[in-house]
Amino acid sequence: MVLGVREIRFSGEPVLDRDNGEELMRVQPGTDIVLGNLPRESPGTLYITTKQVIWVSDVDKTKGYAVDFLSISLHAVSTDPEAYPLPCLYTQIDTEEADDDLSDSESNPIEQDLSNVKEMRLIPSDPTQLDTLFAIFCQCAELNPEPNDDEEEEEHDWVFSADQMVDEEAEDEDYISHNPVNSIGQSNGNHDLARTILELQINDRRFEDAEEMDDNEDGTHH
Amino acid sequence: MLFFSYFKDLVGREVTVELKNDLAIRGTLHSVDQYLNIKLENTRVVDQDKYPHMLSVRNCFIRGSVVRYVQLPPEGVDIELLHDATRREARGG
Repeated sequence: MVLGVREIRFSGEPVLDRDNGEELMRVQPGTDIVLGNLPRESPGTLYITTKQVIWVSDVDKTKGYAVDFLSISLHAVSTDPEAYPLPCLYTQIDTEEADDDLSDSESNPIEQDLSNVKEMRLIPSDPTQLDTLFAIFCQCAELNPEPNDDEEEEEHDWVFSADQMVDEEAEDEDYISHNPVNSIGQSNGNHDLARTILELQINDRRFEDAEEMDDNEDGTHH
Repeated sequence: MLFFSYFKDLVGREVTVELKNDLAIRGTLHSVDQYLNIKLENTRVVDQDKYPHMLSVRNCFIRGSVVRYVQLPPEGVDIELLHDATRREARGG
């Protein structure tokens, strides 16, 4: 998984990873984008899928940005003009980079390193759409929980799971070899018939015990 | 599960959510889900000098995995209840 905002190049509409269940949730035309402290880019079209947010420039339709919902750590509706002059959907991006890098990207605006972008603002031309966008972002965030909550590395998770499977198989074998029911079912010899009868007798005895218990209970009741 | 059900009881109260990037946001707890994603309303940033642009947002969704601490209102903490719940959780029941 790639953390943070990435620049994408494509022709036509964004291609969804439908094999992995990615679906388009919303298309919001007329949306501007502001990445970090970079200048506002407009106009563009916003595609929200179940996995990521994609912005495509209307001017150069081969140019765009994408960010996975896994990288969006916070989103909010910002309508305070003091916070930002235009009503927008404000997002924070998890880049797993040190905070100090922010000043570096400002000092070197020509080489745009999007891996340092920690904020993204989406400005729809129709501000009444903000609450809808916020709700869709919430919905999609919930569709993308952390893939490896308990493990530090995804690869470790794989090894761990494989070991577990081997153990489970061994347990299954133990179970089969110690379970007499399976050996009875495997052949039709007289020996097996005898065992079946023996089992029936045991069951009979159990049945008698149970009846005795019932009698005792009846006795205490009356 | 313990945290999830506990936070659900705190819906409607004022909490402060501190993120792993040091940003602390105060607001009314609107909802929480099984991944401990947190939705706040009427939010404001605690350290406004450091994060002036986040001065006020109407509502805010915070991804559970980026939360470091949640500061609770003292009146929302029933120590006896929590004590029992943690004991039950430890026993696996």
